[in-house]
Amino acid sequence: MSLLAVDDLSVSIGMVPLLDRVSFSLDRGEVLGLVGESGSGKSLTAMTLMGLLPLIGGRITAGRVRFDGIDLTTLPEPAYRDLRGQRIALISQNPMTSLDPILTVGAQIDQASRLHAGLSAAAARARSLDLMHQLRIPEAVAIHGQYPHQLSGGMKQRIVIAMALAGDPDLIIADEPTTALDVTIQAQIIQILCDLVAERGLALLLITHDMGVVAQACHRVSVLYAGRGAETGPVHDIFARPRHPYTKALIGCIPREGQAPGTLVGIPGMVPTAFAYPKGCRYHPRCTAAAPDCRTEVPAGSIQGVGGSIVFCHHPLEVGHV
Amino acid sequence: MAALTALRSAIASPRGAPSAAILALAVTAAIAAPWLAPYPYAAQNLAGAVMEPSAAHLLGTDEFGRDLLSRIIYGARVSLGVAVTSISLSVMIGLVLGAVAGYLGGWVDRVLMAVADVTWSFPEILIALVLIAILGPGLSSAGIAITIGYLAQFARLTRSQIIALKRETYVEAAVSIGSGHMHVLARHLIPNALTPVIVAGMLAVGDAIILEATLGFFGLGAQPPLPSWGALMSSGVAQIYLAPWVILFPGLAIAVTVIAINLFGDALIDALAIRNRLKER
Amino acid sequence: MSDPMSAPILRFDGVSRDFSAQNGFFGRKRTMRAVDGVTLDIPRGKVTGVVGESGCGKSTLARLALHLLKPSIGHVYFEGNDLAGLKPAALRRQRRHMQMVFQDPYSSINPRFSIRDAVMEPFQVHGIRHTPAEGKERAARLLEMAGLDPQLAEHYPHQLSGGQKQRVGIARALALEPNLIVLDEPTASLDVSIQAQIIALLADLKSRLGLTYLFISHDLGLVRYFCDRIVVMYLGAAVEILPSTDAPHRHPYTRTLMESAFLPDPERRRAVTRLTGEIPSAFERPPGCAFATRCSFASGRCYAEKPVLLTTGRHAVACHHPLD
Repeated sequence: MSLLAVDDLSVSIGMVPLLDRVSFSLDRGEVLGLVGESGSGKSLTAMTLMGLLPLIGGRITAGRVRFDGIDLTTLPEPAYRDLRGQRIALISQNPMTSLDPILTVGAQIDQASRLHAGLSAAAARARSLDLMHQLRIPEAVAIHGQYPHQLSGGMKQRIVIAMALAGDPDLIIADEPTTALDVTIQAQIIQILCDLVAERGLALLLITHDMGVVAQACHRVSVLYAGRGAETGPVHDIFARPRHPYTKALIGCIPREGQAPGTLVGIPGMVPTAFAYPKGCRYHPRCTAAAPDCRTEVPAGSIQGVGGSIVFCHHPLEVGHV
Repeated sequence: MAALTALRSAIASPRGAPSAAILALAVTAAIAAPWLAPYPYAAQNLAGAVMEPSAAHLLGTDEFGRDLLSRIIYGARVSLGVAVTSISLSVMIGLVLGAVAGYLGGWVDRVLMAVADVTWSFPEILIALVLIAILGPGLSSAGIAITIGYLAQFARLTRSQIIALKRETYVEAAVSIGSGHMHVLARHLIPNALTPVIVAGMLAVGDAIILEATLGFFGLGAQPPLPSWGALMSSGVAQIYLAPWVILFPGLAIAVTVIAINLFGDALIDALAIRNRLKER
Repeated sequence: MSDPMSAPILRFDGVSRDFSAQNGFFGRKRTMRAVDGVTLDIPRGKVTGVVGESGCGKSTLARLALHLLKPSIGHVYFEGNDLAGLKPAALRRQRRHMQMVFQDPYSSINPRFSIRDAVMEPFQVHGIRHTPAEGKERAARLLEMAGLDPQLAEHYPHQLSGGQKQRVGIARALALEPNLIVLDEPTASLDVSIQAQIIALLADLKSRLGLTYLFISHDLGLVRYFCDRIVVMYLGAAVEILPSTDAPHRHPYTRTLMESAFLPDPERRRAVTRLTGEIPSAFERPPGCAFATRCSFASGRCYAEKPVLLTTGRHAVACHHPLD
């Protein structure tokens, strides 16, 4: 059984339905990329998994989320509180908002250790330094005593990762963890996260809009579009044989080495807002292969190819049609 | 447009609705005093002096037998008129000084703000007393004193707005297409800095009414027989035991108007969501 | 220089720019050199890309190019004129020919302006008058050029998406028919799908209108796709100038950038070379090569002696141990 299994999850904020029957699963030692443009529902999925929907006035309207056998959709808040931070950790896009400016970063990692593992002050400090070494933070002892404003963005994001690891979680949800960072630092952080998954047998849900990050880091991919699943499958399969026209278009948005001038076109139009979702397949107004049934019928998921990709499209692209 | 929407929602809010009604009443009284007042404000009737409120004189009469209601209605014209005129002047001058200081920076900014800080470190009443000592008592002296007393506040607030707005990309974008200083100030900076300054000005009108009343109370503002609310209270002091209404009703007029201004200003601040920006001075 | 068409449209001549910061009122005044001795020609009709990480001075260079910032040392020549030598009025007139598209479409339009106001502002600033009908027509044509529905003219910025706002920024930049447009990370805050749309639009406009671009970006993959020539900056200095996108890179820092770019291809995963050491502070620049602390090829000479940008053919590199 998977560590995390999301089945037909639907979420509304107020009266507005934002997620519609989203499904994916994630195992230990696995990196799942959750991709899509802004407005696809990626971050909302992260908030749902963290049990933070009430904060934004949202609620689960249908479907199930199971984490290690626990049904998260019905879990009461006190039990959720024990889960958050200890077994499920969140790394957010902006390290600035995750760190307290008036405490040293060391104190903040220590605090996370003491809160979750019940360690003494000395043991927590030793553990923090150990974590910082694992994350290849140079001069860990010196950095342990510094304040967030004294550190670079990449270093702050490493501190946030150390805080996430302090609770010894089974699942890390990383919501665009490198978007605010420079490319060289981004590469380092992604590498660190992937190493952690391999070494510790963590499960990592990597939320990103960047197909390049997905290609480099993930085992499997789940593509979201306008609050619905578009395509889910193994990363090699998805990139070699994208079957959903949206997946293919999204991959095509990133210039490849030696790509001829004028061949990068993007996806025409934009993601619809939740107030104006089109009927049928929500991607059809932007789709180059849309047929009459796409405008009226919501496509159901079908299993395609040997990799077992699930594709939500009436007219999936032929294999070899790359 | 945003300002109009905010004004509408402030008027509809629980705090805003009653205060807006009171303010509307006060302003109507000020504008339409000659038609609303039952008697001329200076008409004496010594036979009917210091009379209790009655059907003929709803709020009673003062020591010269003048109708108190009429004097309060005319007093609204004097008190509100002086407060609104001098604060408007103060806002306009403060806006220009603050905008110039914030936009140019450097020594212009340092000199202007040093002067503003010095005037700000004295209570408005002290500045007013010094000015009246120079100019002599009277309504215009009180007005000038109010204008100068509040100037620093508006200049500082405008300056801080302008400095924050200067960093906006659209200002740099305007410079990059070749805009001159006047265009940048008049089209991009001042319009976006205006809202908090106007709201601060509105709130200051309440303070100015009190300052004018204080000066009036000591006989330094409006000169008899011109009625201002402060002067009316002053004339009521002598009869405070015999005829408490003579001091009570003008006092109430001041208190209710000032409270209404503050409540409405508060509702407006919430509707505009500019509470943080007002703290920036 | 005899042929005006082959002369560079823009020339940086030994340009440096300092910023000073003071710690408190009585604190020590510290000076930071954001751009350090850049000499660079921007050829006409080409796309010159400037790539580097945050703090490398690329945005400062963009502002120096348009004289939105004055150089502390050196000169910037636009069409042969030293911009610092122009009187304010002459400089404002010159700005007609050089425009900028900004990184953040969300704050680059005055929230009180309608889209029409924003697009027509350049004409207003330069005293070009239109009758209401002409103005309407002109705004509609500019919006159409930028791929927008002319109906959007009546809208306000908060009603538009980020991509649409950036198109408005482009329409504004085109209004006065400039020769040079500086693009300061025009797609950095947009989704990849919208980024590709904007890049396609910019490429189309360039070929139709014969524009010259100075394209600032942190994304080497994008720069290699879009640009004819690439300038790599590190800590304020140009460390390598690649004459074409397929020229082999010679500076170790350029190589680090190349390796860090994530290709959309899971079959070609790269082991990331671990970078040790921190980026030096621009307040206290090292005497030698700024990249030495992070470079695996660094020798004693790199820490002691600053490498100069040497040109062989059309390729320039500032390194004591360039790669072959």
